[in-house]
Amino acid sequence: MPWSEAHVRRLFWRAGFGATPAEAARWAQAGQDATIKYLLDGARGLAGPAPLLGGRPLDPLNEWSHRALWWLDRMVRTRRPLDEKLTLFWSDHFPSVADTPLVLAQNRMFRARALGSFRKLLGAVTRDPAMQVFLSLADSTKEAPNENYARELMELFTLGGGYTERDIREAARALTGFRSKWGDGGLQRIWFDPSLHDAGVKRIFGRRGRFGADGLLDLVVGHPRHAPFLVRKLWDFFVTEPPDRATLRSLTRAYRQSGLRVAAVVERILRHPALYARLDAPDMVKCPLVYVAGTLRLAGLGVTIEDYSWLLEQMGQFPFDPPSVAGWDWGPAWLTSQTMAARVRFGNAMLAWNDHPPLEVPDGAGDPGLSPDAQLDRALDALGRPWISDATRRVLVDLAAGYFTDLVKPWQQGKPRQQRADMLQRSLRHLILSGPDAHLH
Amino acid sequence: MPRRDPFKGCDDFRLARRPVELTRRQVVLGGLSIYAATALGPSRLLQDARAQAAAAPDAPVLVSVFLPGGCDLLSTVTPLDQTGRLADLRRSITTEAPAPLATESRVGLHPSLSEGLDGGVRGLFEAGKVGFLPGIDYANPDLSHFHSRHFWETGLITERTAPGWLGRWLDRHGSADNPLQGLSLGGLSPLLRTGGAPVATIDDPAGAQLRFGGTWGPAADMTVAAWSRVAAETPGAGAGPAAAKRAAQLARDIGDRLAPYAPADDNAPDPLAPPVAYPENSDFATHLSRLAGLLAQPLGIRVAAIDAPSDFDTHDDQPKQLAAALSEVSQGLAAFQADLEARGIADRVLTFVWSEFGRRPQSNDSSGTDHGAGGIAWVQGTRARGGILTDYPDLRRLDREDNLAVTIDFRRVYCSLLEGWLGTDAAEVIPNASAFGRLAVVR
Repeated sequence: MPWSEAHVRRLFWRAGFGATPAEAARWAQAGQDATIKYLLDGARGLAGPAPLLGGRPLDPLNEWSHRALWWLDRMVRTRRPLDEKLTLFWSDHFPSVADTPLVLAQNRMFRARALGSFRKLLGAVTRDPAMQVFLSLADSTKEAPNENYARELMELFTLGGGYTERDIREAARALTGFRSKWGDGGLQRIWFDPSLHDAGVKRIFGRRGRFGADGLLDLVVGHPRHAPFLVRKLWDFFVTEPPDRATLRSLTRAYRQSGLRVAAVVERILRHPALYARLDAPDMVKCPLVYVAGTLRLAGLGVTIEDYSWLLEQMGQFPFDPPSVAGWDWGPAWLTSQTMAARVRFGNAMLAWNDHPPLEVPDGAGDPGLSPDAQLDRALDALGRPWISDATRRVLVDLAAGYFTDLVKPWQQGKPRQQRADMLQRSLRHLILSGPDAHLH
Repeated sequence: MPRRDPFKGCDDFRLARRPVELTRRQVVLGGLSIYAATALGPSRLLQDARAQAAAAPDAPVLVSVFLPGGCDLLSTVTPLDQTGRLADLRRSITTEAPAPLATESRVGLHPSLSEGLDGGVRGLFEAGKVGFLPGIDYANPDLSHFHSRHFWETGLITERTAPGWLGRWLDRHGSADNPLQGLSLGGLSPLLRTGGAPVATIDDPAGAQLRFGGTWGPAADMTVAAWSRVAAETPGAGAGPAAAKRAAQLARDIGDRLAPYAPADDNAPDPLAPPVAYPENSDFATHLSRLAGLLAQPLGIRVAAIDAPSDFDTHDDQPKQLAAALSEVSQGLAAFQADLEARGIADRVLTFVWSEFGRRPQSNDSSGTDHGAGGIAWVQGTRARGGILTDYPDLRRLDREDNLAVTIDFRRVYCSLLEGWLGTDAAEVIPNASAFGRLAVVR
């Protein structure tokens, strides 16, 4: 496959949170194999210093808005963008709304298992305190099993179809026996109490046995619907075009042959030509977290203002707070008149609000002497060279060309002209970072 | 507007043309800043919506209120004539006694439904302004939230992607230009997804205003104009790019249309200030309040959708969860109704409250109930038909899955709303509409 900066940019957006100009140059030089190896096996950890808000580090356990910022900061500073992107994927695939300590612990679990065995991940999710509480696994007993988790396990987490209401009820029996202990600080622990577990014979997918939680999880991941279901969901996370049948078959086979390893599927998707279609016309809608984290990364900024937290909420993706057990609605559904207005507001937070906004264009920083093309170049440079379409480029150059034409009187030269040049940079940067192109990758 | 096949997505989406050329705009706006200009520009832009509203000032409006999660029938509208059997089924749940009704002895309402102005939803029922639909669902109910919700949203028993049932109605009877005709508050309702007709999603008019900070005067106007031009000229090929283009255009259009109703600044009076007191600290109530205010303006709103808080999936601790959820719903809806009446527009607004399914008659061991069939919905308004409009499911005759029997198909209610309230042929929107029969839901 040919390999260029455009390929790197596409890959880094889809598998992470965008490529800075330096990253695009470096990995285009290194080639596809090295780039994908970096994404899968690169050094872990975060780059650069932890952000300070008002001189203090983030406090996600005690400050409500900081838990969103804490995760956003990981996306901006991660050295393993693919792990971070899949952490987002799993948070959406296994959504859990719960107290902060529980969701933060779950988030770390997703990150550690992002690319590993799905069966092990599923086992960890089933015992995960946030999930146990969210889908009523904790304290579901043999006397009256709670079906909440059993249903979503099959419908949303592993199969999507191919089971009966009876399978759900029997699975709920297999999942009984977990107990919870609560104290002043919230949930203290989850443990398994065999005396509350239904140890009787169940019949699930036509198989009889005294299944418990692990026996049930083995059954669902062994169900013929599981591999195609998960492979398709992973594909759709990275690629807009539906996979053809041969691709789906080969991905499914690779997933099964690897022992249900997520990395085996993801690596093949990242190498697939469909991921690199139409490099000059990105067509996947960025979710709000990718939009915000990517904008910050490209511009070389960290999480320095608190506003990102409520802005993400207004854009429709408040981290750790998915709207339902099905997670968020992805794709074009991210963009409505309301969420677009919120993305424009994000531009205001970057450029105009507070004393020194992150992308501040200080008074006097503009240069009225630059050509329209140079004005646009300067704005693009300040933002880390994000993609814009030819149509957008034309409109913005026209805007720059006409921006000073009403300043014809002698008294409008000098300071008014300088102010106008400052405003031109704000206008261009705002239109680039919140116009239609900015929401596609 | 040309008639289209209502069951097919349409690709002939287009927006009202806006004069975005700089010269024209500068002529209109002179040297005013965009802040001053919004007061001037939009009043001209409003004319098409106003013309529509003026053409049919009393056009009926249907408001959907969704109770997410599956609202429990038995604890919400409780059958007082089946209490013995109910106590057997609900052993693990202790509930407060249902509130008896002055006008109906067969059922009592959850105590939380008495909360709010004038006795809340109970007060509205006793005043003949609420008609309950116990047992509402569809044959062979699917107990998945997402399947069932999708069926209710589309009015089609299919898992295929489709526009919402009210979106299809807009495709057929709506305007090609006015997104406010289909208004979601707090997030796009799938009910209002259309095959082509524009719809609006807002939190409030102030939040809908597009502003480009750090610019002012002619520079600000040029920036707004450039936004519109980028949106117009961007190719928008493919689903994602088309969504980005459309959202950019709609955001501008809706911001302009709603500019007169946005407070000029934080200290300015709220042009939509309600004449009645709404509960505080409730997004649901705030959205209802904004909606009532906007319905009183000549904006051409025909269908609107708001979600209640998503607390109805009461697998655990149902007594506490349901009481809190119904309290918020009752207080919000009571204020909304009083507001509409105070504004003198109540006779043209009908509210339909629904949930994706009911809950299992037998409670589980977590003091909750699992997904079930035979749920609860209601119509509300001065022109709603009051009372208990459907047969209450018989607790001694559960179905094979131990769920309540379904006594009315929700599509029968949809057909009745389309014909009895919106005044259009249901068959245009609901396939096989004649098969569902009709129920009087308005008077």
